[in-house]
Amino acid sequence: MSALATQAEAAVELRQAGRQRGALAAAWIVALLAILTFLVIYPILTLLFGALTDANPVVEGFNFARVSVANFVTVVTNPNVGEALANTLTACTGGTAIAVAIGLAFSWIVVRTNTPCKRFIAAVSVLPLFAPPLVAGVAWSILGSPRTGLINTMFKWAHIDLRVDFYSLTGLVIVFGIYYAPYVYMFTASALRNMDPSLEEAAEVSGASAFATLFSVTFPLITPAIISGMLLSFIVMLGIYGIPAVLGAPANLNVLTTYIFKLTNWSPPLYNTAASVAILLMIVTAVLVFAQQKVLSGRSYTTVAGKAYRPRSLDLGSWRWVTLGLAVVYLIVVVLLPLFALIVAAFRKFMFIRDAASLFDARMYSLVHFHAIFDNPLTLKSIYNAVEVGIITALAGGALAFAIGYTIHRTQLAGRRSIDVLSTLPVAIPGLVIGVAYLWAWIAVPGGLYGTIWILALAFIARFMPDTVKSLSTSFLQIHRELEEAAWVCGRGVLSTIRTVVLPLASPGVIAAMTLLFVLAIRELGSSLFLYTSNTMVMSVLLLDYYEGGNLGKTAAFSLVQMVLLGVLIGGANWLSRDAAQGSVARSG
Amino acid sequence: MTATLEVNELRKQFSVGRPAVDGVSFAVPPGEIVVLLGPSGCGKTTTLRCVAGLEHPTSGTISIAGRVVSSPAQGILLPPRLRDIGMVFQSYAVWPHMTVRQNVVYPLKHRKIGKTKSTRMVDEALALVGLSEYAERPVVALSGGQMQRVALARSIVYRPQLLLLDEPLSNLDAKLRLRLRDDLRRILKQTGMTALYVTHDQSEAVVLGDRIGVMREGQLLQMGTPSEIYNRPADLFVANFTGATNELTGTLIQRNGTFGTVEIGQGQRVEASLLHGLAPGDKVRIAFRPENIAIGANSGGNIVRARVSDRRYHGTQTVYDIDVLGHRLEALELGTAARHEIGTDAAVSLPRDALWAYRDQGSLAEK
Ligand SMILES: Nc1ncnc2c1ncn2[C@@H]1O[C@H](COP(=O)(O)OP(=O)(O)OP(=O)(O)O)[C@@H](O)[C@H]1O
Ligand SMILES: [Mg+2]
Repeated sequence: MSALATQAEAAVELRQAGRQRGALAAAWIVALLAILTFLVIYPILTLLFGALTDANPVVEGFNFARVSVANFVTVVTNPNVGEALANTLTACTGGTAIAVAIGLAFSWIVVRTNTPCKRFIAAVSVLPLFAPPLVAGVAWSILGSPRTGLINTMFKWAHIDLRVDFYSLTGLVIVFGIYYAPYVYMFTASALRNMDPSLEEAAEVSGASAFATLFSVTFPLITPAIISGMLLSFIVMLGIYGIPAVLGAPANLNVLTTYIFKLTNWSPPLYNTAASVAILLMIVTAVLVFAQQKVLSGRSYTTVAGKAYRPRSLDLGSWRWVTLGLAVVYLIVVVLLPLFALIVAAFRKFMFIRDAASLFDARMYSLVHFHAIFDNPLTLKSIYNAVEVGIITALAGGALAFAIGYTIHRTQLAGRRSIDVLSTLPVAIPGLVIGVAYLWAWIAVPGGLYGTIWILALAFIARFMPDTVKSLSTSFLQIHRELEEAAWVCGRGVLSTIRTVVLPLASPGVIAAMTLLFVLAIRELGSSLFLYTSNTMVMSVLLLDYYEGGNLGKTAAFSLVQMVLLGVLIGGANWLSRDAAQGSVARSG
Repeated sequence: MTATLEVNELRKQFSVGRPAVDGVSFAVPPGEIVVLLGPSGCGKTTTLRCVAGLEHPTSGTISIAGRVVSSPAQGILLPPRLRDIGMVFQSYAVWPHMTVRQNVVYPLKHRKIGKTKSTRMVDEALALVGLSEYAERPVVALSGGQMQRVALARSIVYRPQLLLLDEPLSNLDAKLRLRLRDDLRRILKQTGMTALYVTHDQSEAVVLGDRIGVMREGQLLQMGTPSEIYNRPADLFVANFTGATNELTGTLIQRNGTFGTVEIGQGQRVEASLLHGLAPGDKVRIAFRPENIAIGANSGGNIVRARVSDRRYHGTQTVYDIDVLGHRLEALELGTAARHEIGTDAAVSLPRDALWAYRDQGSLAEK
């Protein structure tokens, strides 16, 4: 009798505990959804609202009476917008074409030929990923400006009757192409590695020349990889602000990103128009992202996971020195020349260079520009701010991404699918659009976030969420489920299991993801542009300020300072994570 | 159309390790099928790929139809496409982005053959491998066996003078393998092509090959007709690899013609065939097949005492482990009835023609 009673009591208790756990789980999901709504949905909705109204958000707040598609249509049919869109598409298409040519060539050279120093070539092929776009743009403006550019100066000095002008659409296409080739390279190189070399050997035995084999067998087989690399590089170029801002401004050449920024800098600022153009940019990006996902999930001939193939290395004979030469030229063009230009400009008192002899005249060099930038109190403040935003982003973003990743991949809670969708949404939103959206979301809210460091951090967290969740998830997906279950069986609760089992095991991955997030945050420009105020100036924005102020010396000096800082940080990140999470540095440009 | 293949002192040294192929010489006369047989890693594929031109030999010469196609000493190295050869790969290597017909017509496209003629040749090749109805299918919609037939059709459609096959059947299931093996021999003989075939499966080698070359650690140990390989293996390794897995050690007491008397311990003597030039007093190892041990027989020569220590019933045959003078041997009896109990003592007969004595150079496992 009493035994029965205790049993019944135990059952009731169990049921209560179950109900409590259910309530907790529901609260957890609701909390995550609320955070994501706050971070992603709310800003995007306000942006959409901004595109559909002509009410000024600063003066009138949100005026729902004046919402109409007409506003959006008026903006989008404006010839200036049309011109910016056309420029954007031209620059991205041309840039992508060059990127595909370079990326494909290097992946073939590295994976399929006997070119010497292949490890070196492989490293060079991904090196441009680490160059901040703005710095690359500055370097190429020092090199390629039509009047004072180093290249033209050298040509003139050598009596070569040739002039280059990188302040043009062509210049933009070239710089885009050479800096975004690694996106294509990463996809095609791994596809080639996963492809059975006997498919190519069969073609050769059948009588096809190496060239015919390449075009009738190799490239058709890796087409999905080529297309997705192509789309990705196109998407990244679409959202880049730094390069077109530097190279396009002198020639009054606008692309969508620079045009959007211009609109918010007008006086009075045209926030509504900016919102409409931002929505346009987002739509184009989203379509391409969707296409890329389709291609990636579509059928692929090559990916047989885990199978190792006999490596094939085509004997190029003496041509292998030509292929090595190509890699060296690429290294010179994307890294050494720009670096050289920055160094010359940063240390030289005056940019005017009469001839080569003057280039090597030590008297012309000094530290004046470095003194000048560090005399400006804003410089140190901007570095300090950037680091502060970086730390907040890394800690808060990392923790949130961990919570999201764990909920999606390791629990069966209802609602995790929508969390998954919401947290991947920002993949399709360029950083600059996130900036405009956050501007819309908070500028009209008095006493709110706008003007604080936090709005920058929140925008970065939202912007990099998909990548962070992905890289964090891989770190704990490698932990065998049974290790966790063993802890549960031992009577541990879910939270206690996470703390005692999952976190310690996943910590290298978590640290790597957070460091990466830190680096991404401190070099981010596109979204910072719209969210900083004089108090919250960050490095990347200040660099742009120096450039627009017209002093190349200071710009170059500050570029070098940033490069060194980033170099140290990325080096540290690699050291912390050992096997670099290079793929995600890549994605976010 | 069909040509001689001559391989002379072929050596291939990769950047690491011992040579993968170490001085291999053989010739394949026109229209003959030669099978290279050997355990995994012995250098069969490397030899074949050197002949194809996919691998660059370190030294030695290869000539096809009297023309030297590879000779590092003379600086000759013809690329694969100029050697007029066909090749079937272990992994099929059919191109997944093409249909069956596109796959098969590919080599003809690179040979400047007119459209009507090439269509006819493709149809013939497909008919030969039995895939006529599948011509317009994408190859990814075929089974493994069908893909392998496409690979075969693709390699014979242009009637190359030499066909190379690298374990073409090893990715197929057992039943299909048997059927395709017989088909393959029929097709090869029908086209009259010279063929070099690589496998590690002895039954495939015996059925397909006009001659078999047994390889080990980069060297060609013996080249001969299947019957020679099976009845007069050149050394202990060939004997063992082709199924003579039992081994006894002893000392040669005296020779009488091609046979000799061997003392195998405790005064027990047996008579065995001498396949090496041996002199009395030499240490020898005797190899023989499990099939050739007759348990409980008192005639047939070489009667020794044995004890049955284990028995494994396989349905149509039974395998016994027997102890002979402290050696464990395997014996195999055909038939659906297992006749001997574990633990019984019995006389076993070891016919002298089936015992092959070789000079003792250490056991195979120690090498
Ligand atoms: N590309 C290479 N680089 C270095 N060593 C190699 C290479 N290819 C093969 N080898 C070595 O050469 C030896 C012979 O290899 P091969 O592929 O010819 O063997 P195989 O007889 O075909 O074996 P299997 O039956 O397993 O296919 C092996 O020891 C292998 O490790
Ligand atoms: Mg092999």
